[in-house]
Amino acid sequence: MMEKKIAIDSLNMNYGSFRAIEDVTLDILSRHITALIGPSGCGKSTLIRCLNRMNDLIDGVRVEGRVLLDGDNIYEPTYDAITLRRRVGMVFQRPNPFPKSIYENVAYGPKLTGMRGKDELDYIVEESLKKAALWDEVKTNLRESGLNLSGGQQQRLCIARVIAVQPEVILFDEPCSAIDPVATQLIEDLMAELKKNYTIVIVTHNMQQAARISDYTAFMLVERQGEPGRMIEYGDTNAMFTNPKDERTERYITGRFG
Amino acid sequence: MDERKSDRLATLVFWIFGALTILVLGFIVVQILVRGIATAFKPSFFLGKPEAIKAGGGVLPMIISTLYLVALTMVISLPLSVGAAVYLSEFAKDGLIVKFIRFSLDSLATLPSIVFGLFGMTLFCIYLRWGYCLIAGALTLSILNLPVFLRSTEEALKLVPITYREASMSLGASRWTTTRKVVIPSAMPGIITATILPIGRIMGESAAIIYTTGLFIRNIPLSPVDTAAPLAGYIWYAQSEAMVPDYKSVVDGGAALLLVMVLVVFLLARYLGKRFQNKSHAGK
Repeated sequence: MMEKKIAIDSLNMNYGSFRAIEDVTLDILSRHITALIGPSGCGKSTLIRCLNRMNDLIDGVRVEGRVLLDGDNIYEPTYDAITLRRRVGMVFQRPNPFPKSIYENVAYGPKLTGMRGKDELDYIVEESLKKAALWDEVKTNLRESGLNLSGGQQQRLCIARVIAVQPEVILFDEPCSAIDPVATQLIEDLMAELKKNYTIVIVTHNMQQAARISDYTAFMLVERQGEPGRMIEYGDTNAMFTNPKDERTERYITGRFG
Repeated sequence: MDERKSDRLATLVFWIFGALTILVLGFIVVQILVRGIATAFKPSFFLGKPEAIKAGGGVLPMIISTLYLVALTMVISLPLSVGAAVYLSEFAKDGLIVKFIRFSLDSLATLPSIVFGLFGMTLFCIYLRWGYCLIAGALTLSILNLPVFLRSTEEALKLVPITYREASMSLGASRWTTTRKVVIPSAMPGIITATILPIGRIMGESAAIIYTTGLFIRNIPLSPVDTAAPLAGYIWYAQSEAMVPDYKSVVDGGAALLLVMVLVVFLLARYLGKRFQNKSHAGK
């Protein structure tokens, strides 16, 4: 059963007078991995940040169109961004643990929702770290600073931190661009595991990664400099990588530009 | 000139500049200490009451005044500066209001301290009829220090990576929660460092306080509305106005004592800052 989790409908995004993305329409299916690919500057990171309204934090951003999460438009003025971000978590390009202990990093989200009991927190910290495949490496030093971990471990800590909030969707914004291949492998395995319970959207500049892990792929492109990014093609990942419909997609995935 | 020679020459030139600065500073410090240290540490001086016309007076009420003034000023200006800095760096959108605030702060920073002193006197001592008192001095110094304090606090907040804020907001924290739980704790070592420098300035400031706190007292000030006489102002007073025959040694002793006090407070503040930093870095 193909359940729609997020429906992006004719979305435009403007920074002041500059239009960054235009007319993107895309369905994100529940409990699948959807990859956004395209050359640098094509608007894929901008698009993913529209899905949890992280772009709200930047002055002068204006969004037109709709993004429906389970049928509700998250850009309705009455829609609460805080509730939204608890349902749609995000892992960033560079691992960004807080300068706090490993435990406090993971407990940060649950504490925001008022969870205070030690047993309860201990439990959720352990579970989240296990789901992020980090527990065995850190269980003896939970009180140490998250900043002392390696880059790959930090990124998994950030994943655990998101899981602890119990979101429905997890957005990954180029999560492996700042870590080594071994750590990348671990995170890819982790995503394959996570998609059983979560809807995943990943931005990646690495086409092999998109081909390896995603079920669906959307290809975005800025055709001429100064124009907004547009979605060129969207579909089943295998189909797109073996038999792209659009010539521009084919040129990109065969490495002729980008 | 070849690369290596020019490098050596540059090293020498900059070494000389560095040495000159240290030499000048060292000369002043040594002069003050040599002239005054003997008087400064005489119990009858640092534990005694000042005299109006006889020789042999002490400066205990002045020491207390100075410490009291520092404490009061910090209590007033710390929340004010941190609050304003948080507003400017975390909440304010760039616009006319922020531009106006910054312009005002920059103008404020260039004013000579005597102007603050006269302003404080006009507003607090005369218009509000408070007379010479500690709180009038503390408020005046708080205004005087606001630009420096605010700027350095803002710098400390700006040094907190934007990625921390994003991480917190993406987990469903509001801007205020993010500021309170992530931004301010991360900026705390910087904020503490930013608060240390004004302490020295408050202790040494004389022009802003001679018209606001008072210049001469015989009893230790107890309440914030008591008239006081901070050491720096008293040194000026003893040198230019006092009628005691031993004013020279009062001035020298007072100067040496003030220097030592600033040093002690400085070291103490740095130690506390370091301790706080270590604690926050250890996690938890």
